[in-house]
Amino acid sequence: MKVRRAVITAAARNQRAIPLQMMVDRDGRQKPVLNIIVEETLSAGVEDIGVVVCPEDEGAYGEAAGEHAGRLSFFHQREPLGYGHAVYCAREFVGDEPFLHLISDHVYVSTGERGCARQLVEVAEARNCSVSGVQATRENLLPYFGAVGGRRVSGTKDLYQVEQVVEKPTPTEAEQTLAVPGLRAGHYLCFFGMHVLTPTVMELLGRHVAERAGDRAVLLSPVLDELARREQYLALEARGRRYPVDVRYGLLYAQLAMALSGRDREEVLAGLCELLAQRELTGAGEG
Amino acid sequence: MERLVEVITSADPRVRNSPLDEYCRRASLRELLGQCAELESFRRASPNLLERVRACFFLYAIHRFHLPAKRGLPGGGRIPYEGYLHLLGRRFEEAVERFLTAQAEEGPSDALSSALAATYHKLAFQNLADQVRRSVRSARGNQWMFRVGHPLDQALRVREELLRRPSADSSFPVLREATPVRMDLTHSAWSDIFFLGMDYPEGARVLNVSIDLGVRGRDERPRPPVEAYLRVIDEPLLRLASVDLSATADIVELDEVFDFARDYLGLLKAALIASGVVPPGLEGSGQSLADLLARLVGPGRGIELVSNVNGIPKGSRLAVSTNLLASLIGVLMRATGQIRNLEGTLEEHDRRQVAARAILGEWLAGSGGGWQDSGGVWPGIKLIEGEEAREGDPEYGTTRGRLLPTHRVLGLEDVSLESRRRLQESLVLVHGGMAQNVGPILEMVTEKHLLRSKPEWEARLEAGKILDEILAHLGRGDVASVGAATTRNFFGPLQTIIPWVSNLYTETLIAQVREAFGEDFQGFWMLGGMSGGGMGFIFEPRRKAEAQERLLEMMSRTKRRLENALPFAMEPVVYDFRVNERGTVAELTASDSALLPAGYYLMMAPRLVRLRPQELTASRRADLDAFAAASRSRPELSSVVQALFDRLLPRTRREEGGGRVLPELLEEYGFDRVQHEQIRANLKAGRIGLSQNRLPVNTEISDVEPGDVHDAIDGLTPEMRRLGTDALAQGRVAVVSMAGGVGSRWTQGAGVVKALHPFAKLGGRHRTFVEVHLAKSRRTGRLCGRTPPHVFTTSYLTHKPVEDYLEAEGSYGYPGPLVLSPGRSIGLRMVPTVRDLRFSWEETAHQLLDERAQKMRESLQAALIDWARARGEASDYTDNVPSQCLHPVGHWYEIPNMLKNGTLARLLEAQPELEYLLVHNIDTVGADVDPALLGLHIGRGAAMTFEVIPRRVEDRGGGLARVDGRLRLVEGLAMPREEKEFELSYYSTLTIWVSIDPLLAAFGLTRDALGDEAAVAEGLRAVAARMPTYVTLKEVKKRWGYGQEDVLPVAQFEKLLGDMTALPDLSCEFVAVGRMRGQQLKEQSQLDGWLRDGSARYVESLCEWQ
Repeated sequence: MKVRRAVITAAARNQRAIPLQMMVDRDGRQKPVLNIIVEETLSAGVEDIGVVVCPEDEGAYGEAAGEHAGRLSFFHQREPLGYGHAVYCAREFVGDEPFLHLISDHVYVSTGERGCARQLVEVAEARNCSVSGVQATRENLLPYFGAVGGRRVSGTKDLYQVEQVVEKPTPTEAEQTLAVPGLRAGHYLCFFGMHVLTPTVMELLGRHVAERAGDRAVLLSPVLDELARREQYLALEARGRRYPVDVRYGLLYAQLAMALSGRDREEVLAGLCELLAQRELTGAGEG
Repeated sequence: MERLVEVITSADPRVRNSPLDEYCRRASLRELLGQCAELESFRRASPNLLERVRACFFLYAIHRFHLPAKRGLPGGGRIPYEGYLHLLGRRFEEAVERFLTAQAEEGPSDALSSALAATYHKLAFQNLADQVRRSVRSARGNQWMFRVGHPLDQALRVREELLRRPSADSSFPVLREATPVRMDLTHSAWSDIFFLGMDYPEGARVLNVSIDLGVRGRDERPRPPVEAYLRVIDEPLLRLASVDLSATADIVELDEVFDFARDYLGLLKAALIASGVVPPGLEGSGQSLADLLARLVGPGRGIELVSNVNGIPKGSRLAVSTNLLASLIGVLMRATGQIRNLEGTLEEHDRRQVAARAILGEWLAGSGGGWQDSGGVWPGIKLIEGEEAREGDPEYGTTRGRLLPTHRVLGLEDVSLESRRRLQESLVLVHGGMAQNVGPILEMVTEKHLLRSKPEWEARLEAGKILDEILAHLGRGDVASVGAATTRNFFGPLQTIIPWVSNLYTETLIAQVREAFGEDFQGFWMLGGMSGGGMGFIFEPRRKAEAQERLLEMMSRTKRRLENALPFAMEPVVYDFRVNERGTVAELTASDSALLPAGYYLMMAPRLVRLRPQELTASRRADLDAFAAASRSRPELSSVVQALFDRLLPRTRREEGGGRVLPELLEEYGFDRVQHEQIRANLKAGRIGLSQNRLPVNTEISDVEPGDVHDAIDGLTPEMRRLGTDALAQGRVAVVSMAGGVGSRWTQGAGVVKALHPFAKLGGRHRTFVEVHLAKSRRTGRLCGRTPPHVFTTSYLTHKPVEDYLEAEGSYGYPGPLVLSPGRSIGLRMVPTVRDLRFSWEETAHQLLDERAQKMRESLQAALIDWARARGEASDYTDNVPSQCLHPVGHWYEIPNMLKNGTLARLLEAQPELEYLLVHNIDTVGADVDPALLGLHIGRGAAMTFEVIPRRVEDRGGGLARVDGRLRLVEGLAMPREEKEFELSYYSTLTIWVSIDPLLAAFGLTRDALGDEAAVAEGLRAVAARMPTYVTLKEVKKRWGYGQEDVLPVAQFEKLLGDMTALPDLSCEFVAVGRMRGQQLKEQSQLDGWLRDGSARYVESLCEWQ
């Protein structure tokens, strides 16, 4: 199995500005979030990238991609029919091949030598199956993520056999069906926003889109849940962390994490210390 | 069987289920003590919970029943106070240790065995409760709630659908859960008690039906009787409302959610916690409720939760409160996405989750029934069975069974539509009107099960077979045979295990129905834990309508006849019912037409009217608008406006209680206003009060010395017997039974006449206390050739009922003179002072309760202190029916009353040879005119001879002591230090032999002067002035609503007979008698032990029935 294509979804109606936000990357260069995500994708060895967008955003996003614009193809999601549907919009681009999929509102900071996407692709190619990136997450964050249940693949430290996928589970359900031996109490494997998926996923999505009732959105998690019952499906606890930029202070934390793991670490640390010290001193003065 | 430990550990069911009693009967005292030592070390070492618990029950039973029955166990003995304090403080292991040390040092004794029995009993239940708690907490899906310690940890969110509204001025949509209640066709002898299912899963089986209900004559058709409503509100608080209890509260502090006893909203609070909306881990976290709500529903918003029970009274035995809790939990779990279906029915997985959370909620709120109680969540008819614990279950390795059973909903192939229809057409469901606490019964069942007493064990097996029979009959649609089987169950296994499930009321009803309907009455069936409340009667279908009509009549008539004898909480009702085939169902109503139940608006509107318009939030205004519009257009709401008006301007209510008002009664019963005001002034000024009841601290109190007490257990001589027999034959003795009390401990303040309570089946029938005492006098009369006159002293509360009852019963055919001596003294209860409340709770040793129950108690106490302050300390207590506001003024007055009201004078006139009285309390059922004891009294020539018994741990309240050197009885109220009581070997029975002339002399009177009212009054007043006045706190029940009861402490005063022993000019003697003769029945929970330890048999041997 060889992963040559990637799909980035950036069509969420309420988050259209996020991929355009400017950040400073680990090398100290300022660039839009989209650009950072595209670089993460390319570092995994992917050749072509499909980006799913609202039709009117294509221009702005193309600009934001800068030097990589040439490797990007855009696909339109005309109606907000859900995350799963957005992925499905790239079906022709993907064709009959496995693909890497990232969402556009997370940035990743790897703690190892290789980027998170790269780690994921390597495992998928070696194991010849779908692999989702996951991160052990405290139960209070369950309302924000899809979560998987399963068990560790014997002989590995970071690979799990996925048995079940639930979108934003309640802690009650998580405790009953998603507890994974070996994790800390109250922690679950939640999605990392990064997957390598086999063409089966597109097939399943196609069925879900066709059977969609009323104004119900098509989600990815139920499809992945089905996938787990159809074929081998693994989850990788990648070495690195995800930072959602679409939540309150998300961009700030993402920026800090990136800066503290990059070239300007000392400069930013010094800045932070100064900020804290000033605040404390002012506080003491007032007190 | 050589070792009892083997019975517990054996894998062979024949050995494991072999009865303890048989072995103990055969064993010698020494062997039994040896077994106790072995069981104790086994108990400490065993890692298995149920083995430990069973060992505790074995030890309890040996110490309570078997050791005291062995010759050679010394009767007296001291109980170390330190051990007793451990017992009260729930430090059971330390208590056992201390009592066993005393046993090793001083040898075994009756007293120590009683203390050990009490401790082992409590320890066993503590262990069981701990296990249930652990199981509930560690169940998957519940654990996370205990980890949440901060609002940021809350992972639940209220679903989008509940947050949608057309505009910011509209109210939010309403989610309504409607839940049936459950009726059990057979509980296989209470096999749904958690402990039982965990010990004996294969025998834990229940046939349970979900039903809709309507009160006949009031409701048009049956419907799910329990409802829970939820909606989002635009205020950052929790608004709780219980329509049925007419209570509402806006909760803004997190701690208030955990304060269950503060108001009547405990069930709603328990649901909020058990559903994870306010997770239990947040208790005491000091966090903000508004922050938590912001996580759940968004900043500035809150949740409104409303419960509604459609007029189904308490004690229906249909598990109304558990199903309401389940309904509330259901609606909350749906709203937070823990149940996938926002609307409609539930899936099996969700039903189990709701049931598990309901158990958690019951544990939190300190209540709890059996595991079948949340059956209303499931649809139709289901077989619920215990399940063996398997690997992965939290119970595995600890108990044999799981906490939660398995539900199998019976399909039409098991019970056809026709059978279901026939069941509905045959069964008349009623509420008989009695509301009693089944808690003690559930404890007794557990205890007997773990002891495997032979008859009870066989009864349990039999009950299991009856369930199979009923299943087969239902399968065939043979409802008549179902009726035969449930009747057999009630009169057979159920009463074998717990005789107390039946009562005179139930059995009278069954007899009446049988007589009226003959063959067409096909069976009786007890619902839930005991009879008298919810019950079922099965009839030939064509006579059902008639039966409904006539049953109501019979119940009302029988209730009227027995209402002074048995605790009734309400008028009997007949229900219409229908099997509910859907279980609990939810429905979401969009905001523009969303309404809460009409009762909610009736309750809320008067409060809202008092607010200024600008204080009402927009959504509240929208809600009221919607309700106003609906009440104009919807026919079912047409009467609401009138009802609302009545609520706004409440009409004055005529006092209940036969239409008599308090002042009339006070006047009639000789209330002394001057004395009352004096007492109030003293109470307010702190001159009298609970702490002033006590003798000065420097009083020297010591135990009796050799020779102080005559031993009647072994020391009565034939000479004494002859002397007494002669006196009886010569008509020199009369019996006085004191029957003025309303048994405040007996029925927890329900205000029934204790003397008339048909408390136990003796000689094959339920007998009242009055009948038992007359039966003993009848026997004495036959043996001695002359029936003694029998006097019952009565009070304002008991006189008329006793008189009527005796008349109706033809005085039980008593062959001798039978006289009532009406009370001539009365007091008016007062609201207690905060000082006395605190003293009673804080300064006297109390049994510490289980952690949760203790919390409930503390919260309740705080509420009661507020109540006393608000009402006014030491003000007259008049906010209840008159009979609950008045109080008898202590048994000291009983003899003076006989002088005042002329009873004694008339007796002496009719029988001048009369010289002696045997005075005893109505509940001392073992006391009779024993000729030898009478002979002893005559021989010693004392004015009064007091009977005492060797003390056991439960005998609290003073005793026989040397007080500053003088031998006398000391009341518990007067003990300067509680621990002193534990040094006193003897406890008073309040059975007194009185010589009439010396007693009169003490009052400065003679027989001839009895006709002189002024002289009598003068004599009595002089002695009364020398008697101490005790202030006491009593609990009274205030009934309200539909079968609801509050228990309130009130202050009253008393003078007590035992203090006569302190009069220097009155010669008193003391004699020790056996426990079977001397013990008083103060609480109904004593009855089972009283029956099992042979006391009942002893009393029967003294009686001769009509």
